[in-house]
Amino acid sequence: MKSIKRCQRLMSLVLILFIIGMVALVVKIYRESSFYMINSDDLSLGKVYDRNGDVLFDGSGKTKFEDNYLIDVGNLIGDDNGQMTNTLVSRNIKRLNNYSFNSGLVSSGGKASIHTTLDHEANRKVYDAFSGQDGCAVAYDYKTGEILVCTSLPSIDVTKGYENIEELRSGTLMSKAMYRTVPGSTQKISTVVAALEIMGPEKLFSKSFSCSGTYENQGGNNIDCHNTYGHGTQNIQQAVENSCNPFFAQLVEDEDFPLKKIKSIYKEMGYTINDDSCGYIDIDGIKCEKASTTLNDPYEFKTQWGCIGQGDTLVSPVQLMMWQSAIANETGKMTMPYLISYTTDVNGKENYSVETEFSDRIFSPDTADTTKQILLTNGENNYSNLIGGYKIGVKSGTAQVNEGKNENSLLVGFVDDEEFPIAFCILLEDKNSTHIKTEYITKVLLDSLNETYSK
Amino acid sequence: MDSLNLVLCAVAAASLDICALVLILTAYQERSTGKKRWGRMTSFMELADYSVSYPLDCDEILIGRHASADIRLPDLSVSRYHAILTVSNGVWTISDIGSKSGIYVNGNLIKTAQLKENDVIKLGNRRLVFRRKGVYRYEQ
Amino acid sequence: MSNKLTYVFSAIFVLLAHGGMLLNVFFNGNYSSVSSVIILSAAVLFLDIAYFTAMLFFKQNTYAIDFLMILLLNMSVIFQSCFGKVHLSIKHYITCIIALIACRAGYMLCRNHKWLQEQKKFFYIGIVILMVVIITLTGSRSMWISLGPITIQPSEFIKPLFVLACATSIAEQQKKRKVFIFHVVYENLALFGLMAMIFLLQWWCRDLGSLPTFVAIYACGFLLRICYPKAKFSKNKLIAAGTVLLIVAIIGIKFAPSYVQDRLHVDIWGDQSGDGYQQSQALIGIANGGWFGKGPGHGYLHNVFAHNNDIVFATISEEWGLLYALMMVFVILIIVMIPLINPPRSYFHATMATGICASFAVQMALNIFGSCNMIPFTGVTIPFISSGGSSLMVSGLMAGMLIACQSPVFVQSNKTKKKKPVQSVNYPQQQYSPRRESY
Repeated sequence: MKSIKRCQRLMSLVLILFIIGMVALVVKIYRESSFYMINSDDLSLGKVYDRNGDVLFDGSGKTKFEDNYLIDVGNLIGDDNGQMTNTLVSRNIKRLNNYSFNSGLVSSGGKASIHTTLDHEANRKVYDAFSGQDGCAVAYDYKTGEILVCTSLPSIDVTKGYENIEELRSGTLMSKAMYRTVPGSTQKISTVVAALEIMGPEKLFSKSFSCSGTYENQGGNNIDCHNTYGHGTQNIQQAVENSCNPFFAQLVEDEDFPLKKIKSIYKEMGYTINDDSCGYIDIDGIKCEKASTTLNDPYEFKTQWGCIGQGDTLVSPVQLMMWQSAIANETGKMTMPYLISYTTDVNGKENYSVETEFSDRIFSPDTADTTKQILLTNGENNYSNLIGGYKIGVKSGTAQVNEGKNENSLLVGFVDDEEFPIAFCILLEDKNSTHIKTEYITKVLLDSLNETYSK
Repeated sequence: MDSLNLVLCAVAAASLDICALVLILTAYQERSTGKKRWGRMTSFMELADYSVSYPLDCDEILIGRHASADIRLPDLSVSRYHAILTVSNGVWTISDIGSKSGIYVNGNLIKTAQLKENDVIKLGNRRLVFRRKGVYRYEQ
Repeated sequence: MSNKLTYVFSAIFVLLAHGGMLLNVFFNGNYSSVSSVIILSAAVLFLDIAYFTAMLFFKQNTYAIDFLMILLLNMSVIFQSCFGKVHLSIKHYITCIIALIACRAGYMLCRNHKWLQEQKKFFYIGIVILMVVIITLTGSRSMWISLGPITIQPSEFIKPLFVLACATSIAEQQKKRKVFIFHVVYENLALFGLMAMIFLLQWWCRDLGSLPTFVAIYACGFLLRICYPKAKFSKNKLIAAGTVLLIVAIIGIKFAPSYVQDRLHVDIWGDQSGDGYQQSQALIGIANGGWFGKGPGHGYLHNVFAHNNDIVFATISEEWGLLYALMMVFVILIIVMIPLINPPRSYFHATMATGICASFAVQMALNIFGSCNMIPFTGVTIPFISSGGSSLMVSGLMAGMLIACQSPVFVQSNKTKKKKPVQSVNYPQQQYSPRRESY
């Protein structure tokens, strides 16, 4: 019988292998079925809500939206018709699917939904504050990572459809906060951080350089200051407050500030250096471009401007805001932003919720602390009357785009308040064509968010 | 999906389930009758050592020292593969398959021999009796 | 027979299972007139009863596989008749009847393993002839011969012959000859040569889909052969050899020709309208069906090419539910599990059953896992369920061989029998049974 038993053992082995495969198949299908259904022609999508329960998207199309109701966050939320791919809905369409393997496709009455962290009302007010001027504003809670405001102009009422894509102005169908732009002087924060990391605060504060309105660097090029009369001799605190370009050009040339080390600190912070391709930060599936710059030689014009905020340097507003969180937290760790606070499945059961995540340490807590003091001092000295009522640390920036034809205005900062921990970044395009100021938009943003927080 | 649909699916699935179960039970039933038939067909024989009895459950039984032999006789005088027992028409036959010490049936060295009840087979130093299974029951 | 009552019950439950399915078709099915359902029911029930009646004329030891087979074949008739719209699929019905006849033929031919072993050279010749036929008659390196409306896949017919060629008895494995320093059985060498030829043929035909089936049959046959000759292969050596084979296979895949590579890496979701069409539709279909299905005839997959053979698992899942499709697979598994419950009585039959088991399991695995994108998609059929005459007939034949394993006859062929004197010892009455006893 042993011989027959041997055959039986072999048969059992074959059958067991097959059955294991079948079990794996069933598990795979059960887990991935929702994804399969997304690729199907018939879909039944649920709703997206803001933090107060306002409907931001309705897959069933039954909700009647007022005209321009969603113009503030439309290009972030997006829709399901495949035109806007880097948006919340199209990246997370699986979560909205009113389908589960157990209950099948529920064509009406499904409860699949995404509850976002956005504050629709605040977004609306910030949108209105732009008065039609292009730009974007993004703000989040640097303690938790909840993105509260993320609005971008120009925008379009996506709920009413958009057939005339060619006629739309560029940037209409995307949220600008996720895309790289010239950071202008806000880049100086990164340079200050790098300097603090390399030299330490004492040495950095002992350095002083003079500015006479323009500075001929060791490569023979002129670095101009926005103040043509010059700022005189300044230390780092004054240079940040004055946003003095010659100071920073001389700092980059300084022997105590080797470019090799700058590069490594920039890399820690997330810059892609000397490479055209950029990585992405993932915000609930939405791809946010990572910063990039070109740094070759400390005496080169382009490299110096790269550390000042022009040249090849490009940073997305979201990343500028995230660096603020690392500073404001005094830990050197960025709070990772998110948009989805929780989702429910087709039966209304909560099936996903977030926990606040932090990045790896990108610079030391001491550096964060010192930078925070510099920015807070700047805020107190120069912005307390414009943005009153908050203890804020800020850095403004002016960025030349379109080969110097236009100037964008930027303002990044944070509120130093345990109860109201907001980091923000405002981008106002073509600032010379409007009377609107980034400070005003910031004030509106903080006021409207404060209403929410004090509730 | 309405409830009628679900109920009918459940009915169809359940009836298939029960049917599969019944057929497995049928197979088990057949297994026991099959055993009896096999015995009848092979004259209810078995090989017996002093105390151990080896059932003859299939039509080719390999006797030898090796672990893979059907009847294993762990004795150095037995070749690794010593003899093979086959059944045909209800008659068991023993054949030598290249053993060193040969096979003795009732004291005669043979190459191939048909076995009768109570034949004594000697493989090396080992003796096996070819006897009827459950012989004691028949004697009572 | 003592099992009569059991068989009556089995028959009733098979009828009930089909009745349950037909009821489901009647209430949930997609049909325009009731007559199509009535025709289908009549055809299915008629085939059931006809087969039960036919079984009365065959004296077998066991009937479990017969019941399972008629259960499965009529299930497949119902499945195939409901794709898209309820209508009796005449073609499939007829091939099922042919499969049943093939099953009877397999049973009759394979009962006496000694006789089979004497015919072994014919199996080899048969396989070689079939291979020549494939090379000469099938056009443009394919595996199909078209004869008017019928297309035959000759490579399918190699399978049962190959299973028979791989089967072996213990006595045969003891006939060793010395070649150089190795003791080998000539037949093992011949079998290896045959496998190599099949491999080359499949490679040449670019039909690597059915190759795993042959390899699996050969691997089982090989393992069960090398266990005896001087037992050179311990478990560790076998595991080591297996690992080497695996590595060779991995390297082989890396350097495989481009058309194989293309098949191995298909991002089906990235190419949904091209190469990934069938699989992605199949997966969507399964997801759409859920546990309980959309109802017979309400699926979408019947619009997809090869819905009734290559991705039949998905089509059934969509219309009847994943639960039902899994149960269908389970019924096929029971068929090959019967030799585990009720062991064959000779090594030849046991190796044969192992080969059939391997063949069925591998075919199902290739089809089901392939259509669900777990492994590369190959156009292999599920035994008994997929449509396709050649495949069904061969599956029937192999099931017949399994039945034969259960009802063996142990009779020497005529020439050797005459030499043997009839025993005249005091054996009990049962021993003097007729020579071709079908116990």
